[in-house]
Amino acid sequence: MRAIRAYLRGPAAMIGLVLLLAVIAMALSADWAYPRDPLSLAGRPLQWPGANPRFLLGTDNSGRDIAAQIFHGARISLLIGLVATGIAILIGIVVGALAGYHGGWVDDVLMRVTEAFQTLPNFLLLLVLVAVFGSDITTVTVAIGVVSWPAPARLTRAEFLSLRSREFVEACRTLGMGDMRIIFREILPNALPPIIVYASVVMAVAILLESALAFLRLSDPNVASWGNLIGLGRDVLRTQWYVSAIPGVAILATVLAVSLVGQGLNDALNPRLRGR
Amino acid sequence: MDLTRRATLLTSAALAASVLHPERAFAQETPRRGGIMSVHFATEQRILNPSLQASTGVYIVGGKIQEPLVDLDANGNPAPCLAESWEAAPDGKTITFKLRQGVTWHDGRPFTAADVQFTAMEMWKKILNYGTAVQLFLEAVDTPDPHTAVFRYSRAMPLGLLLRALPDLGYVSPKHVYEGSDIRQNPANTAPIGTGPFRFVQYERGQFIIADRNPNYWRNNLPYLDRVIWRVVGDRAAAAAQMEAGQILFSPYSSLTIADLQRLGRDPRFEVTTKGNEGNARTNTLEFNFRNPVLADIRVRRAIAHALDVPFFIENFLGDFAKLGTGPIPSVSTDFYPQGMPQYAFDRRRANALLDEAGHRRGAGGVRFNLRLHPAPWGEDIALWSTFIQQSLQEVGIRVEIVRLDAAGFLRSVYNDWNFDLATGWHQYRNDPAVSTTVWYRSGQPKGAPWTNQWGWTDAETDRIIDDAQSEVDAAKRRALYADFVRRVNTELPIWMPIEQIFVSVLSKRLRNHSNTPRWASSSWHDLWLAS
Repeated sequence: MRAIRAYLRGPAAMIGLVLLLAVIAMALSADWAYPRDPLSLAGRPLQWPGANPRFLLGTDNSGRDIAAQIFHGARISLLIGLVATGIAILIGIVVGALAGYHGGWVDDVLMRVTEAFQTLPNFLLLLVLVAVFGSDITTVTVAIGVVSWPAPARLTRAEFLSLRSREFVEACRTLGMGDMRIIFREILPNALPPIIVYASVVMAVAILLESALAFLRLSDPNVASWGNLIGLGRDVLRTQWYVSAIPGVAILATVLAVSLVGQGLNDALNPRLRGR
Repeated sequence: MDLTRRATLLTSAALAASVLHPERAFAQETPRRGGIMSVHFATEQRILNPSLQASTGVYIVGGKIQEPLVDLDANGNPAPCLAESWEAAPDGKTITFKLRQGVTWHDGRPFTAADVQFTAMEMWKKILNYGTAVQLFLEAVDTPDPHTAVFRYSRAMPLGLLLRALPDLGYVSPKHVYEGSDIRQNPANTAPIGTGPFRFVQYERGQFIIADRNPNYWRNNLPYLDRVIWRVVGDRAAAAAQMEAGQILFSPYSSLTIADLQRLGRDPRFEVTTKGNEGNARTNTLEFNFRNPVLADIRVRRAIAHALDVPFFIENFLGDFAKLGTGPIPSVSTDFYPQGMPQYAFDRRRANALLDEAGHRRGAGGVRFNLRLHPAPWGEDIALWSTFIQQSLQEVGIRVEIVRLDAAGFLRSVYNDWNFDLATGWHQYRNDPAVSTTVWYRSGQPKGAPWTNQWGWTDAETDRIIDDAQSEVDAAKRRALYADFVRRVNTELPIWMPIEQIFVSVLSKRLRNHSNTPRWASSSWHDLWLAS
């Protein structure tokens, strides 16, 4: 309760929350607002926003309704963001917790693997994965999750390193609890707040990664994603810039919303910042 | 005020004069030596030797380094190049070429009839796409002396056909470089050695290719240019920006976006034209893989053709750059274009009825079945067309998944691995249906040869018409045979070609002596020069 009140006090956090709720509302209402397939031919291509009352945001160079693609694209972006973040956080927590709790050679092995991943720029690794496994939306989402786990893993490990020698952990050991139970039932809940905050960063980056892929025309062309619309609009950037600009604003708003919410959570959950 | 008006008047008078008498405007200029020509290279195919792969993406580079036996002149008539003269025996089975003397390869060795013999027998007949079909009945090439090559055929070869084919399918490679090696893996395939006006220097994958002036070129004192650089730019918008910055002087083969073609057409620094590409008419294709039992059913193929509103697509997406196509022979080919062939007008109800009849009822979500569509990665029109196909087929209950690949990946999965359902790209028509058109239909094409019949479709009747037409010496009879051919393939529909286009070139106004033959972009550019 206190954390919620602390969250609601921050103006930036409130703006983020409102934006995020608006994007979620768009995603939920997509089928109702634009019941037709957003990729179907809606009318003459490249009509400017407002030129035709049927198309509030105009049409793209394939004659598809941009507004419909923005609404349906919100689903794809949020879905990619949530699923990829889930995958990254899950892998990160497991790797980080085992490394941080056990230390020794387990830590060495897991951290060397993590570092091997960290030395590769994650976008290049993503390009390789997409080149090898193809670019349908499931593969892209999983691939984004797979390239995003090292940072959460290191964060989890750091939390575990500081928590594992605390008295309550020693007490659990004395009581004869198993390692798994100590890791997941006792230490993890205490380590979770910074990881949750960090998840918002991962989610923002995941959305951007998909857009970057689509900009290079390497994402799944068979779904209405914002990135695909930007990639398509690149061909007419000099004359019909709105095709790229409109989904660009949508991505900006979503990433900003997720980041602001993450920042707000950090302020609310971090006891050291309280009362600042 | 008055001055300005007078200046405007003078300028428009000068403009009018140059429009009315373009040759006069240029005739006063003496060609300037030197300069670097930079070219937009949009589609790397990992091969530069035109004796092994017939494709605009190969000619744009290899055509400046290697040369064909015969070229085309300004009016599209055969003109001597490496061959100085030719003669056919009355029965059409022997054609004799007298070769040019005193020509040397870039590595200093002399060019002789042995090179022609080796290239014809080992490359044109065995490997070169289109070449394998044109030279199907070639039995041997005799070399009575180092400057005579005698082509012997088992069935008559119309001289007109061979001469129309050779500018594209008659590039000669050096025997001493290729003999005894695995031709397909020879390093000269990406570092070609030729007799042409430019010598290969360097190829950096994905970045650039450089060729320098050949000081020993057989046309004395030519070429004018010092160097040609091909810049590999896959992104169309970026290529247009580089043209405006002066880093690229020529973008061939409709490689820019349609919006940029229209925009640069209004820019006084550039010329946007179809001139110089008349010998390269193209049609947009829809290729069916018969190994998929759904597509092997002719009702499904016809339903798909009926589901496409092509006039709507052309009017709204391609504008002035295209017209409605009627099959494999485009209307620019006045010698062969047949009238009144079977067509598939847009008729969604008929498409639905045909699909129902074929037993593909609509299932969940109104979907009858799924297909994968492989669009070729060149040309914005192909990307737009593939999306339009996806959208149109959805309306009749066929869910289409678009599979995007790079140039090499596309060619491999469609023409070598046969791993596709539908594919779409360009068919190029080169002056005669036997050059690069009938190979899309004739069975028995070597696996992996791009832009040939790799559909798993065999039709004895079509094969017979193609073979007869190819060896028919009488012009009127040939024309009638090609009408039969179009009627047959438009009925069976192994491929549908519903859009016709001519390639568009975008050129800097600094170029001189450009677009002066019907295949200029592919030609050697020996007389091209740059005004300062």
